[in-house]
Amino acid sequence: MPESIPASLVIETLKDTFREARGARPADPLGWILSVPDTHQKSVLAALDKERALRVLTCATEDEANAIAAGLYIGGEPYVLMIQHAGLYASVNTLRGVAMDGRVPVLYLIGLLGREKEKDPRESRHSMVRFCEPLLDTFAVPHARLEGPNDVHRIPEYYRLAQQRRGPAALLVGLETG
Amino acid sequence: MAIKPEEALRAIAAVRGDAICVPTMTTAPAWRTIAPDDLSVTCVGFMGGASSLGLGLALARPDRRVLVFDGDGSLLMQLGSVATIAGAAPRNLIHFVFKNAVYHTSGAQEIPGGRQVDFVTVARGAGYRDALAIETLDELRGRLPALLSAEGPVLVELHTTLAEQTPMTAPGAPFRQQVEALREKLAGV
Repeated sequence: MPESIPASLVIETLKDTFREARGARPADPLGWILSVPDTHQKSVLAALDKERALRVLTCATEDEANAIAAGLYIGGEPYVLMIQHAGLYASVNTLRGVAMDGRVPVLYLIGLLGREKEKDPRESRHSMVRFCEPLLDTFAVPHARLEGPNDVHRIPEYYRLAQQRRGPAALLVGLETG
Repeated sequence: MAIKPEEALRAIAAVRGDAICVPTMTTAPAWRTIAPDDLSVTCVGFMGGASSLGLGLALARPDRRVLVFDGDGSLLMQLGSVATIAGAAPRNLIHFVFKNAVYHTSGAQEIPGGRQVDFVTVARGAGYRDALAIETLDELRGRLPALLSAEGPVLVELHTTLAEQTPMTAPGAPFRQQVEALREKLAGV
């Protein structure tokens, strides 16, 4: 059964991930969170309000977040996108154009709002939950689930994967963060 | 008299110094000719993304000016980016909108609202530090020095004619090649 992940654990893991990405280069901010606010990750967003090392940029659309990511990548800055499954569907063309064809590394943290705790997401009665992994499969985007605190190691792992393959990678947040 | 986009780009190229430039759609072919070996990346392959691409560059490189050469139809595709840019308030971003009132690349169909769409009002309402419209080449030349040292974000609505070429008649390098080329150049300077 999936468990909720504490917001503080997500944030500390993101900070470690960005520190690793920067190496010895000091920076303020440490990294960027490009967010189109996701209900499932709202406790992380609330905690980020008090976090000085990471800068949150709230975007009007996921299309924008992808294009901003490309600019940050060209300029050498680390970032992740925090969005909702509906935002993934809304921004498929930009994911294709920026992260796939443009070969811009992008790690997506995608909240599965509506995911039933007792069901596999692929069997959800909600189409937005059910089609998320198949959509990522269609575009050959590597993905994994964040189903509890023991899965946060996937954040740096998939961040590195996106960098190595110079393309998209996605982590699906199964339950509301705590 | 509306400005020829090629003339506007030549005027900007003459005074831009080491600014990073982000053309898109009908400004892209001419910019490649005017500034062929340059700190530029064309928004191609993801419609309407020039302003956001420019924002990312401006945030990553606050030590440099970033000039976006947007189109009116392109900006309408991601008009919310105007609010996102205003919220981020990058001091080094100048957002030119080449306003020809049509989707030139797809056959010059009129954009929604045509010429009456007022991007200056949109930018001011969203919270850009400044926004203005320029209708002649002389006025553009006269204002450029001050514009390029102004505190951004600033939107400049340029009233233009159609470009001589479009990305359909003069395609450039793939976006991925441009991304890596500019990333390497910026890492080395």
